[in-house]
Amino acid sequence: MTDLTKQAFAPPRSMLSGGALQIFYRLLAALLICVVLSFLSDSFLSLGNILNVLRQASLMFFIASGLTLVILTAGLDLSVGANVALSACLAGTVIHQTGSPALGVLTGLATGGIIGLLNGVMVTALRIPSFIATYGMLWVLNGLTYWYMAGETIHGFPPGFRQIGSGYLFGLPIPVYLLLVFLAVGTIFAQRTTWGQEIYATGANPVAARLSGIPVARRLLLVYGVSGTMAGLASIVFLARLNSAEADIGESLTLPAIAAVLIGGTSLFGGVGNVFGTFVGALILTLVLNGMNLLSVNASWQPLVTGVIVILAVSVDMKTRRRTP
Amino acid sequence: MKEYRKLICAVLVLSGGFAAGARADSETIAVFTKNQTNPFFQAVRVGADAAAKGLGAKTLHYIPTKPDSIPEQLSQIEDVVVKKPSAIVFTPVDYKAMVPGIEKINEAGIPAVNITDRSAGGKFLSFVGADDYSIGLETARYLLKALGGKGNVVIIEGVKGSLTSVDRVRGFNDALKENPGTKLLASQPGNYQRLQALQVMENLMQSNSQIDGVLAANDAMAVGAIEALDGANRKAQVTGINGTREAIDAIKSGKLLASGDYNGFVQGCVGTMIAIRSLRGQPVVTEIMLKPTVITKDNYQPYDVPPESRVCPSWDEVAKVGTK
Repeated sequence: MTDLTKQAFAPPRSMLSGGALQIFYRLLAALLICVVLSFLSDSFLSLGNILNVLRQASLMFFIASGLTLVILTAGLDLSVGANVALSACLAGTVIHQTGSPALGVLTGLATGGIIGLLNGVMVTALRIPSFIATYGMLWVLNGLTYWYMAGETIHGFPPGFRQIGSGYLFGLPIPVYLLLVFLAVGTIFAQRTTWGQEIYATGANPVAARLSGIPVARRLLLVYGVSGTMAGLASIVFLARLNSAEADIGESLTLPAIAAVLIGGTSLFGGVGNVFGTFVGALILTLVLNGMNLLSVNASWQPLVTGVIVILAVSVDMKTRRRTP
Repeated sequence: MKEYRKLICAVLVLSGGFAAGARADSETIAVFTKNQTNPFFQAVRVGADAAAKGLGAKTLHYIPTKPDSIPEQLSQIEDVVVKKPSAIVFTPVDYKAMVPGIEKINEAGIPAVNITDRSAGGKFLSFVGADDYSIGLETARYLLKALGGKGNVVIIEGVKGSLTSVDRVRGFNDALKENPGTKLLASQPGNYQRLQALQVMENLMQSNSQIDGVLAANDAMAVGAIEALDGANRKAQVTGINGTREAIDAIKSGKLLASGDYNGFVQGCVGTMIAIRSLRGQPVVTEIMLKPTVITKDNYQPYDVPPESRVCPSWDEVAKVGTK
């Protein structure tokens, strides 16, 4: 019994000690891309472009950070993109109908959170594998959003609300502040709190976690709820940044967010990874796009270039990690 | 098992045929569109409904739940071959991949009209569409004229490899060639997505200090580019394509210079009109290419109404407009 308990708690402990080293390797790939780009393009290293990249990475990070917790429990949330679309459309409608941005923000977060909790209930109470549960949820949400929007676009929001997405404070874009806040909160929650540690333990060995008294079902409900709420937050930032939303905005968001989590070193098998890695993963994906635009890479070649760089970035990390004892 | 299925199908087809025979006065037109997400196809469906209502017929809509899904449209065709509507108005989700599906419709003897995207094969009563190349060309010409034939221009492309994007961008490039005073700074992909176009524009503004014009391959991307320009306190003339309601609003408020009109509403109207006219033995036209219109602040008024309250053109107008 004690051995099992130890096993369950082992990954988070080693995470803390080896964390700094692991983070360094993740950053290495991102830094390499930066160095190459700064030689190829004069505009890359400007302050404007760095803020630009951070702001672009923030939207993906919001979705991916919640997903990180889900993936840490060896689960998956495929409904995040569809969640963003429905939450954005509902929040947009509420702002239009009531004229109150606060109510809109609340609607977006609540919609996202409720969807996440429903995912959690399916995974825990109904014992549906998370891939299937959230895949089903993806279709349910798409159906609802398509039906609700009927091909229309919601657009035009008050300038105050739009600050959330496009505003600046002391020279930094507001979404970057949100990014820093959630990066800190996510890291502290996962690494320094009992609940966070229990999430790692659940992912590393669910049986051992249950036997050692961790309320596994409640922790799972929590991570799916957080993932949904973060999708809700992303929907608000999306609305505020783009000043509009339509039914199909989510489709291109899910896979890159999952990729950001995995590029960031979180294991699909659970128990290993952290939110900072996910931030670096989102950064790498954003840097690739930014670089290709700055260098005007031919549009036809861009998917290929993206694929090659993603594979290279992860292989740099894997190689260096293997060499260390 | 397969034999059974065939038998059941045959019985259903026969009974469907009898049922159709019994109420010959009201034709049912099955309308196939590509997705529920693009406002363009919503306009097509509203146009088809308006035309059918005007002529006393009914419509039945077939829309893949997963946007532009080839297997889903194929299974919807199998469904429609069994149900046997009077006629079909058809947009292939993929102009090549759907050919076997259309051949099934032909075998079942259901008359079909092809609208929007021209199918690479199969038999149709006629084709109704607007060609992407001319829309791209005319929209870009309008932008370049507004810039006085000079300045720095960027193109935001649609989904790479899609016929619509390839043709629109070809139109943009040909208009640029006519204006040697303009310089094409970059031609980057936005995949018809608002967010991607915004980010592409933000990135391009980092590497180019002066951008005078933006040619976007659809309206959502054009509006995304405008948001990026606004965010950076920069100004450029922007055009889109599709004539969506959002674009009309942006033209009204002076943010968007123009939008090339693809006119889904009229395509839906005319396709359905042809199907019904042919069923009633009235003359039809085998091909109608709608002329490109560039919607600007000078001519947006007729478009500034919801599609539901728009009226289909009369057949005489249609036969006159853009018959090839």
